[in-house]
Amino acid sequence: MKDFKYIGKSVPRIDAADKASGKIKYMSDLNFPGMLFGKILRAKYPHALIKKIDTSQAKALPGVVAVVTWEDVPGLNGFGIVVPDQPVLCEDKVRYIGDAVVAVAAETKEIAEEAIKLITVEYEPLPIVDDPIKATQPDSPKVHTDGNIHLHTKISRGDVKKGFKEADVIVEHTYYTGMQEHVFLETESGVSKLEEDGTLSVYAGSQYPQRDQMQLSRCLALNPRKIHVVSYPVGGAFGGKDELTIQPILGLLALKTKRPVKIVMSREESIISYWKRHPMIMKYKTGVKKDGTLIANEVKIYADTGAYASLGGPVLNLAIEHACGPYKLSNVNIDGYCIYTNNGTSGAFRGFGVPQATFAMETQMDIIAEKLRIDPVELRRKNALRRGDIAPIGNRLTTSVGTVAVLDGIRKTKLWQNREKYLVNDFKKPWIKKGFGIALTYQGTGLGVGLPDYGGAILKFCKNGGFEVGVGLVDYGQGIGTSYAQIAAEAMKCPIDKINVLLGDTDTTADSGPTSASRGVYTGGKAIIIAAERMIKILKSKASEILGVSADNLTASDGCICASNEPEKKVFYEEIASRFMNETCHLPQTEGYFLMPVADIKIKDAFGLPHNIFAFSAHLTLIEVNTLTGQTKVLKGAEVIDAGDVINRQGLEGQSEGGFVMGMGYGLFENMIVEKGIFKTTNFSTYIIPSIEDAPFEIETVTIVNPEETGPYRAKGVAETVMGGTAPAITNAIYNAVGVRIFKIPATSEVVYTLLKEKEKTE
Amino acid sequence: MKALNYLRADTIDNALQYLDEFKQDIRILAGGTDLVVRLKQDMIKENNILDISRIKELNGIFRKNGTIHVLPLTTHTDILESEVIEKYAFILREACATIGSPQIRNRGTLGGNIANASPAGDSISALFVQTAKLKLKSINSERVVSIEEFFTGPGKTILEPNELLVDIFMPELEENEIGFFKKLGQRNALAIAVLNVAVKMRRSETGTNTFDRAVVAFGAVAPTVVRGRRVEKAIVSSSLDSPEQIHYIAKLSFREVSPISDIRASLKYRQDMSINLLYEGLLGLSANDWKRKA
Ligand SMILES: Cc1cc2nc3c(=O)[nH]c(=O)nc-3n(C[C@H](O)[C@H](O)[C@H](O)COP(=O)(O)OP(=O)(O)OC[C@H]3O[C@@H](n4cnc5c(N)ncnc54)[C@H](O)[C@@H]3O)c2cc1C
Repeated sequence: MKDFKYIGKSVPRIDAADKASGKIKYMSDLNFPGMLFGKILRAKYPHALIKKIDTSQAKALPGVVAVVTWEDVPGLNGFGIVVPDQPVLCEDKVRYIGDAVVAVAAETKEIAEEAIKLITVEYEPLPIVDDPIKATQPDSPKVHTDGNIHLHTKISRGDVKKGFKEADVIVEHTYYTGMQEHVFLETESGVSKLEEDGTLSVYAGSQYPQRDQMQLSRCLALNPRKIHVVSYPVGGAFGGKDELTIQPILGLLALKTKRPVKIVMSREESIISYWKRHPMIMKYKTGVKKDGTLIANEVKIYADTGAYASLGGPVLNLAIEHACGPYKLSNVNIDGYCIYTNNGTSGAFRGFGVPQATFAMETQMDIIAEKLRIDPVELRRKNALRRGDIAPIGNRLTTSVGTVAVLDGIRKTKLWQNREKYLVNDFKKPWIKKGFGIALTYQGTGLGVGLPDYGGAILKFCKNGGFEVGVGLVDYGQGIGTSYAQIAAEAMKCPIDKINVLLGDTDTTADSGPTSASRGVYTGGKAIIIAAERMIKILKSKASEILGVSADNLTASDGCICASNEPEKKVFYEEIASRFMNETCHLPQTEGYFLMPVADIKIKDAFGLPHNIFAFSAHLTLIEVNTLTGQTKVLKGAEVIDAGDVINRQGLEGQSEGGFVMGMGYGLFENMIVEKGIFKTTNFSTYIIPSIEDAPFEIETVTIVNPEETGPYRAKGVAETVMGGTAPAITNAIYNAVGVRIFKIPATSEVVYTLLKEKEKTE
Repeated sequence: MKALNYLRADTIDNALQYLDEFKQDIRILAGGTDLVVRLKQDMIKENNILDISRIKELNGIFRKNGTIHVLPLTTHTDILESEVIEKYAFILREACATIGSPQIRNRGTLGGNIANASPAGDSISALFVQTAKLKLKSINSERVVSIEEFFTGPGKTILEPNELLVDIFMPELEENEIGFFKKLGQRNALAIAVLNVAVKMRRSETGTNTFDRAVVAFGAVAPTVVRGRRVEKAIVSSSLDSPEQIHYIAKLSFREVSPISDIRASLKYRQDMSINLLYEGLLGLSANDWKRKA
């Protein structure tokens, strides 16, 4: 790797001090003079017709300033990134228990809460659609008039029948994954305010301010230029703030009352109201030759998107694209359904369908390895996709492919090297059994073919000789703000403390697409580099005037422009800035736009597929199972990651460790219970996420050298792949420890215990 | 959350006067880790809150004539940091170590854990086997009850509205007494017990694997914490020579418990766990030659 000053180093987060000291104001912390408090009345039933809404008593309550229903929505009463099928406020029907029906703005939070209780809504309850497979049948009650199948995607390649005939072993199982909650620290919260010039400001943490602005303009019938969206800082998102949440209601209340209105969601309301990870049912049939060569894969996926589409379709498609794992497979048949039910509402979540498919496919691989007595790493290596290969859904992999490298990297981990030693059971506690497991996963970077996928950056030269970088993406904890500072500092040859990063604001930052799909560093970073190249040209031309050296013979380095062959002949950026100011009272500004390169083919009827660039990771776990209680304890973890070249070492480790623990929660703990459309686990005493006491003491992060030439400083995005393989690595380790296969996650203590008991009975 | 009237007492007498004055309409606040959660859920009917957290006389741990006194405002953290407790009430210590998180243990008090009367209150099972007694005081009376008599149902106790819990005391554990507290939660911190079990046994002077006294208690398996009398009898009347024998005894817990199914666990799982948690604890002691942890 070239010798860089900032790239590849462990640079402390630029927002760390402000966050640790509490200086940063999140949207929930904002207060304005004359501010009102909003509150939303949610549905009483998961599925019902609305017969009548009576708000008169609420309106009459002293201190209530506005009560709004669907009738007050000035524009389209619908939002949704793909299809706007979710009402801002329900008119004639509610489709899940978190559906918004009426909203109130009042002088105090308490009055708003009181007013909500005074609203009466007459409902006619409808039969509940809670089984996604039954929901696909023609006689099922319908969540939407067009039926319950939001999207059906089918991909066939080769000849699956023939493949199964040639197979020596066929492994067939059905897998179930749970509904996972993002658990961002800050719930969906914010303030909206009508400014004196008629602009509507919306301060609410989210992942794509420019798209929020567009969706809000539709709902509120306002010129988008009259809407100012501020999405950053935000207290976490993980995909859960990609879609709109409370923003249209906030905007509506602010327009109606002409006063600032604030909503801070309680955890309980947040859990019932907004997005979750899609629960999936996945039927797998995999054919393999005696020597371990995968020969055919037939997959059927049912994704439960709940009441509204949001990103359910693309989530299903991503699960389909990754359903066969990063393996060579030329006979495939993948059939997927994205289905409407009354089970809450699901949408984007880190991994976007891939963790579900990875759990299924990587369990299949573990079963195959055992059946054929092939080492699990060897089996994966044998089938691994390499650069130039055709992926299972038919695209050629032309960019960096790290499959083999991450598998080989497993040997470099301490966990692998010492696993025999670690696996020795304590003879004093024979009921505790240790196990080791691996899983391989990968994740497309970016949005895929057919979707506008670009990065944008505004670079402003500042008086102090530093730069202000404005990218519309949002740092919601993954650390892109710091990566952008590193990239800008490196590209501008400027000290990093003179870089000021602006994020997530429709006024000051360039539209750079959504902060999702592991695309932040890649797209935003590339755009910054392009803007920086333009800026360097401008600085050189001004320096050329000052130094009397032709611009072609000038170089940027260490905060100044100098003559290439005479480095003492130089002018500092600060001087260049004052020269500009003296001459024109104006400092230059450049912009950079970058279009994401896409795959060689389009997949018919599968919007967004395929992807072009992928990040890869191998996940390793050492666990122990208490056979008396079924409890699984994760003792150690490791991730071997193909991130291209690393921008921020420390940031990558943070992603890897955080991703590992989130995957652990997915695999072992997080059990969102929804019965007949009603959430039973609406707070953290019942919806169990792992605590630091549950996380393993050590999670190793090992990177392999595999630069992605198209990326900013040859990097690619890893925020999702780091999470996707942990659950199956753990469940495979459970099998290794106690011989029970997990086909349904989370594998809670009771689940494992029950399986152990069943096994004991049959033995 | 509704508006409340906040009162603060600085002495026991002062507190008892308030309790007497407001009768049914006053609620005691110690660390608040149970009460404030309930207040936010609008589950408290009283309109007056009596903050007792600054009453110095209600805070402290001391030994007196072979008895350990843990005053009700003692926090779980205080208990974990006390050498007296470590030596003479280590079963209680093991229980308090599993409560909540450092933040909760810093605020939550022993008195609050008892008075809250949750069947899953972790200190309670330990206090059962350490045969603790409680002193309850009102403006014109005072009584001492055993911890077992105190509870009448989930969240229900014999405490009168004008009474204050002022002392928790128990005999010091003797040299030859061993035991444990074990909790099964859904995770390793901040977890409400799916089930817990506490055991105290006294090694008999004759024989190596025999015991002449045993007290066993289970939490979260019945409307209140319950004793495991059949198990106790079996421990005393047999010799715990083999894992098989220990398992046989542990299986008796099955008949002591009457759990329910809820969001955390099924009835069946809780039944099995009452056996297995006890079994695991006894096996652990046996592997340690029936000695206290080294
Ligand atoms: C996040 C979290 C995790 C928790 N984890 C656990 C856990 O793992 N195990 C567990 O057992 N508990 C747990 N708890 C519950 C709680 O922390 C404990 O029960 C704690 O000991 C209560 O003490 P407190 O001083 O906070 O009680 P408070 O909330 O102040 O009072 C609790 C009740 O006792 C009454 N009371 C308090 N003191 C007296 C007194 N001296 N005389 C008469 N009545 C009195 C109050 O009126 C109230 O009804 C948890 C709570 C939270 C919020």
